Amino acid sequence: MSNSLQTAQSTPTKGLSRDEMKALCDRILSFAKADHTRVNVDSGVRGFTRTAMNRVTTAGSTNDVSIRVTSAFGKRVASVDTNRIDPASLERAVKDAEALARLSPENPEFIPDPGPQTYASVSGYYSSTGDLTTEDRARSASLVLKAAEASKTIAAGFIDMFAGSEAVANSSGLFAYHASTGVASTLTVRTTDGSSSGWAGDEGADWTTIESDRIAQDALRKCEAWRGKTALDPGKYEVVLEPTAVGMLMSRMMGAFDARSAEEGRSYFSKKGGGTLLGEKLFDERVTIVSDPGFANGEVSPFTGAGDPVQRDVWVENGVMKNLSYSRFWASRKGVPPKPSMSNFIMSGGDASLDDLIKSVNRGVLITRFWYIRGLNPRMLAQTGLTRDGTFLIENGRISRPVTNFRFNQSLAELLQNVQMMGRPTRVCAGENSSAGTPVIVPALKVRDFNLASVSDAI
Amino acid sequence: MDHQNLDRREFVRIVGSAGVAAAAGLSRFEILEAAPQANVAPGPDAAERDLALLALDAARSAGANYADVRISRHNFESLSTRERQITGVSKSESYGIGVRALVGGSWGFAATRDVSRDGVVRAAREAASIAAANDRVAPNKIVLAPVPKVPDGRWITPHRVDPFTVPLETKAELLFRTNDEALKVKGVRFVTSSVSSVKESRLVATSEGSVIQQTFIRVSPEVTVTAVAADNSDSQTRSGATAPSGSGWEYVTGLTLPESASRYANEAVMKLSATPVDAGVWDLVLHPSHLWLTIHESIAHPTELDRALGYEANYAGTTFLAPPEKVLGKFKLGGDLMTFVANRTESGGCATVGWDDEGIAASSYPIVDKGLFVSYQSATREMIDWVAPLSKLKTAPGHSYGQDWSSIPFPRMPNVSLMPAARNISEEEVIAATRRGIYIEGDGSYSIDQQRYNFQFGGQTFWEIRDGKKTRMLRDVAYVARTPDFWNSMAMIGGRQTYQMGGSFSDAKGQPGQLSSVSHGCPVALFRNVNVLRTA
Repeated sequence: MSNSLQTAQSTPTKGLSRDEMKALCDRILSFAKADHTRVNVDSGVRGFTRTAMNRVTTAGSTNDVSIRVTSAFGKRVASVDTNRIDPASLERAVKDAEALARLSPENPEFIPDPGPQTYASVSGYYSSTGDLTTEDRARSASLVLKAAEASKTIAAGFIDMFAGSEAVANSSGLFAYHASTGVASTLTVRTTDGSSSGWAGDEGADWTTIESDRIAQDALRKCEAWRGKTALDPGKYEVVLEPTAVGMLMSRMMGAFDARSAEEGRSYFSKKGGGTLLGEKLFDERVTIVSDPGFANGEVSPFTGAGDPVQRDVWVENGVMKNLSYSRFWASRKGVPPKPSMSNFIMSGGDASLDDLIKSVNRGVLITRFWYIRGLNPRMLAQTGLTRDGTFLIENGRISRPVTNFRFNQSLAELLQNVQMMGRPTRVCAGENSSAGTPVIVPALKVRDFNLASVSDAI
Repeated sequence: MDHQNLDRREFVRIVGSAGVAAAAGLSRFEILEAAPQANVAPGPDAAERDLALLALDAARSAGANYADVRISRHNFESLSTRERQITGVSKSESYGIGVRALVGGSWGFAATRDVSRDGVVRAAREAASIAAANDRVAPNKIVLAPVPKVPDGRWITPHRVDPFTVPLETKAELLFRTNDEALKVKGVRFVTSSVSSVKESRLVATSEGSVIQQTFIRVSPEVTVTAVAADNSDSQTRSGATAPSGSGWEYVTGLTLPESASRYANEAVMKLSATPVDAGVWDLVLHPSHLWLTIHESIAHPTELDRALGYEANYAGTTFLAPPEKVLGKFKLGGDLMTFVANRTESGGCATVGWDDEGIAASSYPIVDKGLFVSYQSATREMIDWVAPLSKLKTAPGHSYGQDWSSIPFPRMPNVSLMPAARNISEEEVIAATRRGIYIEGDGSYSIDQQRYNFQFGGQTFWEIRDGKKTRMLRDVAYVARTPDFWNSMAMIGGRQTYQMGGSFSDAKGQPGQLSSVSHGCPVALFRNVNVLRTA
């Protein structure tokens, strides 16, 4: 992502404008008779182009508006979703939500939503992405397919974009609006005999940061370099994790920073005997983890679904646990201010290049990315999963040979304790299905004692 | 579960469907006609039918040589509880139209929530325009195999009670009784339960003259009990064996959730003090509530044709069962005991339908026949000709499916089920044949590589088997294996009285990701010498 960013704008070319959104929310709220009513609206376009077998296999575009009406009578609360925006359907959705709420038993954890709030100014809508056409995507895909064909390899890729707006409004006068875009481009290149596979990808809010040529070259290079892989015994290795690999692991941690599960004894952050590990040094001192809705090319909405403001938050600072998220209910129970959960994941880094990390390794494994990561044990933040699309042995500071894939069984907490060197943070495509999603900004890492538990024959 | 105690005729009736040539390979089970329709399936709404035909005309006028249209209304209701309170009540409705157009040899797809005359015409033109752009810039060569025309198809999920007619209070009362039973057990601190219901009306129309109206009904109950050690040093959960089903509300009441919750609660508490497993080689006796997921990941996914061809290489991956010409009719897997049937016909199956999104009738056929890989599943019209010369399956079996109106249809797996033993072997007999083993119930952690070789599965409860008897509870168990080795180690399977279905509402595949619902039936089964890890 070396290109300079465009300036994000707040008037979207796809999805409802602020005025249209306000009018829609007002219309819905005008039907409301409950003690408290909240409206959430998402609108916009999602477009995609898929390639496989060196061809464009499918491409499409979906235009939708989804509305959620949440009604509360006292502590009786219920919600109804619809995508029908004619007045009669909107009125029916409100009436249905109210009827459901009256039927619902009281929810003792219900806390009414806030009144009008002040939000950080965040512009996350990039017209480079919003105005991207099918033809643009086909041209980008076509370049990649031609490069693959020229090298007698087989490409399969995915370009995914969204452009639109969201809003929350409630009967206490709150209204918040945010427009955003997102785009991801990923590519897998395989040899015709299926003996090697390489992957590369980018994700951002701004299409101009997506480097289609570099993605093609990186995936082709990985596929070429991984030919002729040989066995390596499973075991604990020093590993160099490329940023995508780090992002795929770290995004699994986002839900763990939750006060309630920690205080209830269900989380890694629970303290034996009660309480939480807040304020304790848990990780390597170079590890700092923040979330920040205004982070350039990784912007997220400056408000939650309930309309609470989302600010820059520090979760881990120099290895010390600084914050846990508090839902509105749990915050009121504990007498602390609510703190929304992590909105994006931004990790500190260093100055090292990927080559610097590799050069510093005496004997270890370079990992491009992972696959099928699933939780093993929440108390240990333990995860299992597999390496994929480019795994190499490093000896004496150089890549010595391609090796088979591995299944890992690894505690993410231990990983953050075992950090030895950090690269420069970058936004990565961390979702397993490569759709543009929650921004994850992480460095490459050198980590000791990473548990590569068993061999996988998969290519 | 409602598949216990089926007699053989009944079993054949639910798994087998009428008149499928490929089913000739199903030697152990004669094919009888499909289950009689329990409910009258409504036909299409006249206005929707007109809009669908209007969209087809618009796509053709815009240059499409083929088009299909789906107008769907997707209703979802969910009620979730925690201990003695409601944590969420929601209902959702999503309505729209999706148009798929083929221009030259390239696809284009456009979908909109605007189901007005102008809206559907716009979507149809956009689909054709996207297809045309692809065909100009990066042309593909898609050809569709012929299929029979279905001018007036109608189908509804067989059910007795539409879950959307059951009052919320009744549902809440059932969940609270379930939670109360669990909370009576000392050591249990949390219990969550929920029930989700889906009802979807889907009209499919094709430019070749098919018009098919279907209604799908599915329900999914869930219970999870958490026990926490007195000093907070450990917590253990037990999720219930409450598979989703293509059924009405009668399926949920048939599960006797409150009674089961008490057992789940006792087991969650027992897990706190259970003995951590000794890592090493063990025999495994896998209950259907666990084995369904191993089947899903290691048999159903790798036998998807689109994976073998390379369509999913950038995400879901490829498969060890490739290339087709080297494995079809040649690859041996699991021995004589093992017959897997792919079907969209099994009663209660989450993937059971009347027709698919290309208007092809649901079918049932073997994919592994007595240990021989004989057919892929999931072939669609554009893919079937790749494999027709190599397998008994000559026509597309009806596996195209889009999550809803907003998603492009693509190959999705049918129900893939392991046939029980011909002799009525009980679970006790299977356990008795095990000298040193682990009996596993319920699905837990799961992970498998992108070619479906290396897998690792946890579970919900683990019991040590010593000299043919279930003894103490173990914990922290996961097994890891290579798919062909694992299935080749299957030494014994139960009879039809041990057959049950498991399944999921959320099998993820595709880019952009789409969810589909699927079930897998199986008997209890014994596997020899599997590598077991200790996960904590």
